[in-house]
Amino acid sequence: MITKTLLLAASLLLCGAAPAQEAAALIQAADRYRLAGENMQIETNISTYNRDGTLDKERAYIVFAQAGHQSLVLMQSPAEKGQKVLMRGDDFWLLMPQTQRPLRITPSQKLLGDASTGDIATLSWSEDYDGSLVGEERCGEAACLHLTLSAQRKGVSYQRIELWIGKARQEPLKADLYLSSDKLAKQASFVMDKPAAPTRVDEMVLQDQLSNHKETRVRYGTRQAKTIPENWLNPMFLARNPSLE
Amino acid sequence: MRLGSAWLLLGLAAMAPARADVDVGGQLRLRWDERSAATAGPLATAAALVAPDVAPPQRDSLSLLSELRGRWRFISANAALDQVRPEGGPTTSRARFNELYASGEAFGWQFSAGRKIVGWDVGYGFRPNDMVQSEPRLQLLPGTPQGRAVVDAEHFDADTAWSFVWVNPQRPEDGSGSDEQALAARAYRRAGAADWYGFARWGEHTRGSLGAALAWVASDTLELHASARWAERVHTWAIDPAVGTIARDNPWRVQQQGASSQALIGASWTGENQLSLLAEAWYDGSAASDDRWQAWAGRNAGLANSLSPASPAALRGAVAGNLAWQAQAFGATSLRRRNLLLRTAWKHEKWQPALDLLYQPEDAGRVITASIEWQGDRVSIDAGLRQYGGPSSAVLAQLPLRRSAYLAATWSF
Repeated sequence: MITKTLLLAASLLLCGAAPAQEAAALIQAADRYRLAGENMQIETNISTYNRDGTLDKERAYIVFAQAGHQSLVLMQSPAEKGQKVLMRGDDFWLLMPQTQRPLRITPSQKLLGDASTGDIATLSWSEDYDGSLVGEERCGEAACLHLTLSAQRKGVSYQRIELWIGKARQEPLKADLYLSSDKLAKQASFVMDKPAAPTRVDEMVLQDQLSNHKETRVRYGTRQAKTIPENWLNPMFLARNPSLE
Repeated sequence: MRLGSAWLLLGLAAMAPARADVDVGGQLRLRWDERSAATAGPLATAAALVAPDVAPPQRDSLSLLSELRGRWRFISANAALDQVRPEGGPTTSRARFNELYASGEAFGWQFSAGRKIVGWDVGYGFRPNDMVQSEPRLQLLPGTPQGRAVVDAEHFDADTAWSFVWVNPQRPEDGSGSDEQALAARAYRRAGAADWYGFARWGEHTRGSLGAALAWVASDTLELHASARWAERVHTWAIDPAVGTIARDNPWRVQQQGASSQALIGASWTGENQLSLLAEAWYDGSAASDDRWQAWAGRNAGLANSLSPASPAALRGAVAGNLAWQAQAFGATSLRRRNLLLRTAWKHEKWQPALDLLYQPEDAGRVITASIEWQGDRVSIDAGLRQYGGPSSAVLAQLPLRRSAYLAATWSF
């Protein structure tokens, strides 16, 4: 599939034309390195480092990424245990364990923290962004493709993303993430499992460009196909504690 | 021995290896509270008249608050052990289950039975439709509240939820307010950027009440919410109207009041810089009216004026006792009917300072609270200061406390 997409994209580049639908195919190919299926359960760990390289904080999450812009994030680290965030398209809810009362939150509240819940729960660009191919560039030693992604919806964490993917395999290499104010919020780079023949993203490294300039490493652990029941995506269901098995 | 066993249990739980079918966590909090008694108000007047045993002074205290949460198969529990040492007094301990319930699923419905926290409604400072839990609001660094004894059934699909709760099923006769036996229901519907709620409750003593609420995300940064409730009857503290100047027994009783309504509107704004603002205004018809507070103030003045320098000690003691009983009026959920709350908070990395103002326009009473939180991976540090004030006639200025401060360190596991 990736090879077919590559051939298609290469032929279009040779012809000097890159319609939006072909850029979309490239983005879809890049997505598969993070999200292998439509409905997944991913164990995610986040480590934030100060400018001097010392560890600032660590957090752990279980993320249920589901088709149709839907994600359920369960906080697992001691400081946040019991907190849950539900994302359904542009709508967000938060549950704090002390009150067992789901709360509507705004997209800007979702941005709080060094790695926003959007960074953790959003594992696919193709569902949320329209893309256009800027052109071929050099990324270090290798040739890469530069794409500009524009948000289809206002609820996504970043309204514009400048994305660079490998020319040969379309693996994501780096990205610049812009807020709705068009300020550069973060710069991302991607660590692949096998640099010579990548099959998946093991880690996303975020460099804050807006405030504290800290480095946040988002590690993707166990990934498995998981379709959660429809009622788990009801905001009021957040107050219940179903078995995750 | 009992405390030792509880500590051993907490320690073992913290060290227990994680298993897929067991989910354990908890926290230990060491907290210091400093309290300054008010110099005005019925308790302060009573204290000035006689020995402080009639109106005990507000004491500073040191507390160790332990909480253990766990889930095993269909059983969920939250156990707490509070140890409090007031300044100059003995340590007291209190162990309790905040939650202990079984839950399951059958025929597309979710069921629970036991002691459980059931939080409803959309407000921050006031929640008229919190029909099950009736959680106290605006506390200083609140811990986990104690849940209610409930049997509940809930049904969920993608955008709709139905909840039916039998509250306090074990209390057929006694109980008042949130402690009475009741049936409560909530209907929820998500409609795009808005959450709609309908509520109904039938209490054994307070009978019927109906409510509705809305939370709407109007833009990327702005959320609006509103909630309203009508109740056929409410429980309220009231003085026996036949009481003379000096009563022999406490004349204050929980009494049933006729129909009343409550309503809240609010808005919250959060910017990209992580600064947030909250504004809420609410009306609580179950609170004492202006006339009732004027009568209360008149009785306070009458009691104080009934004494002269030559009055015998026995009469002074009786007057002081009656003044102390007047503080029973502070036991209501809302002291005044009209309230305005403003709050600002700023989350900056591990720090979150916040500033709150509660203002009651009927008598210009106010409560100002400043707090700061530092959150690490396992440890958090909280500190805060609350000041009650306003004109000397304001109800908030006559509370037993004038100022309170706290400092707490919490370790989560």
